Amino acid sequence: MSGVNGNIVTIRQLSKLYRQGEINVTALNGVSLDIAAGEFLTLMGPSGSGKSTLLHIIAGIDRPTSGECHVQGIDVTRLNESELADWRNQNVGFVFQTFNLIPVLTAEENVELPLLLTQLSRRERHRQVQAALELVGLAERARHLPRQLSGGQEQRVAIARALVTDPRLIVADEPTGNLDSRSAQEVLGVLQTLSRAAGKTVIMVTHDPKAAAYGSRSIHLEKGELTN
Amino acid sequence: MTTASFIMKNALRNKRRALLSVLSVAASLFLLVTLLVALRELTSPPAGLGAALRVAVRNKISITNLLPARQRPIIEHIPGVAAVTPFTWFGGKYQNEEGMTFAQFALDAKVVRRLFVDLKMTEAEWKDFEDEKTAAIVGKITADKYHFHVGQRITLDSTVYPGALTFKIAGIYQGTADDRNMFFHQDYLDDSIGLPGQVGMWWLKVKTIEDMPGVIAKVNQAFANTSAEVRAESERAFQLGFISMWGNIKMLISSICTVVVFTLVLVSASTMSMAVRERFRELAILKAIGFRRRELFALILAESFGLAVAGGLLGIGGAYVLFTYVDVSKMTHGIFVAFEVTPKIMGLAALVAGTLGVIASIAPSIAVARMSVVNGLKTLD
Repeated sequence: MSGVNGNIVTIRQLSKLYRQGEINVTALNGVSLDIAAGEFLTLMGPSGSGKSTLLHIIAGIDRPTSGECHVQGIDVTRLNESELADWRNQNVGFVFQTFNLIPVLTAEENVELPLLLTQLSRRERHRQVQAALELVGLAERARHLPRQLSGGQEQRVAIARALVTDPRLIVADEPTGNLDSRSAQEVLGVLQTLSRAAGKTVIMVTHDPKAAAYGSRSIHLEKGELTN
Repeated sequence: MTTASFIMKNALRNKRRALLSVLSVAASLFLLVTLLVALRELTSPPAGLGAALRVAVRNKISITNLLPARQRPIIEHIPGVAAVTPFTWFGGKYQNEEGMTFAQFALDAKVVRRLFVDLKMTEAEWKDFEDEKTAAIVGKITADKYHFHVGQRITLDSTVYPGALTFKIAGIYQGTADDRNMFFHQDYLDDSIGLPGQVGMWWLKVKTIEDMPGVIAKVNQAFANTSAEVRAESERAFQLGFISMWGNIKMLISSICTVVVFTLVLVSASTMSMAVRERFRELAILKAIGFRRRELFALILAESFGLAVAGGLLGIGGAYVLFTYVDVSKMTHGIFVAFEVTPKIMGLAALVAGTLGVIASIAPSIAVARMSVVNGLKTLD
């Protein structure tokens, strides 16, 4: 389900203040933004500009100080902790800079994790896990532990984990930050394909203009405000 | 993958720590079971066959005050009394051994068999015991410990009466709840110390259980307002009176049990907190992908409970096997005749293990519940 005018994300006057000791730090200052369904949006800006904070609020893992953030028509800022957890499980796929795979689980078990919260049977879970791993080109590495994979492969497993519940929104926080250029291209290629071929909305934070070039639109933040 | 296999993999991710955690719980629960069994053995007197029909009669002032032998015919004539024997503590030391592990009592050799029906010997041994004034019979535990045999003569120095007495072992008995004591003739004691007419206490047997209250009341009345007033009570009541003297030992053992459990809680809580703290970022990821607080609490609880119960099973099972299949009497040199790990003690220890698992998971669960996903992701970045 998309929001108003086919937008999957609608943000209005979003602000976020942190308190660091005696000082108030403004991470976001009245940001308003629309993101269309199927878009591959890249968020750029210097460190501390608020891009990760914006991504976290859209993904429902952080809360704004004020403002609205509608994702697929739901104001995620008004959901309680438990509702947010359910919502994230069903609607958002996460890809992090440091992969964040569970080291004692194999690739397929890592991918299966979000499905443990669903009512799917073991067989259905296995089928979806295989499909997600095939999509990122790692079906043959399903039984490997993270330490037996390269950085690029680990990140592709993380993407498979983000995809396995078939969310419409994928958020990626500097997904190529820890990768060499070849692996980075592979990962960006996968994200681009997800946007173009599978119709997923991808929001990616990056410092790298080359990475940003894979996106369909790029926005810049500086001192908590959009600059374009 | 199932949730159970996920929990198992998490619990065993650091195998050395998991093993040490399980072993620490196992060792502590083994100790707890041992202490609880010791406490039970010390505070629950062994109940022998016929105990329900026996009455102990002692001096009302103190058990150490003697009673006049002239009381015996009076007691024997009380309706409901089937048999009476004197029972006098000799307090002998064998070969100057410190810390004697068997007591010696003088009694009526011809009556003892009717009173203590669970005391088993051959007919020949009974006959020798009854016929020979210097004869004594010894419990099997003591006989085995000191390598006594029938026909052997042993000398004991009394710490109560002047001088020493030499006894001829006429029989080695078994079958009582505590086969450690030595019995000999009251006549022999009377003649040897030159102080006849005094006994330590009386043991009597009533004809039926229904006779018990009446006999106790009549014995007490019979000697009321005399120079040697008595207190008659059932064997069970008499033993419980003795047990009350263990008060401080009971408190000591109970205190040690409490300390063991408390220490165990601290160690387990610390281990679980450490295990969870190491995985803060992973738990933040689980939160991000949709795991709710209660699901994360269930994961931590299951892991903690599993480790505690595994340790509990090992410790309780180990104690059960050891104390069931090893001769504790021999191991403790007769201090503990029996050392039974009862289902109640095992249940209590298992409850401690389970509770421990739950308590150990509380602090890390609260920490994880309070953790925001964003802060959790930053933990090790």
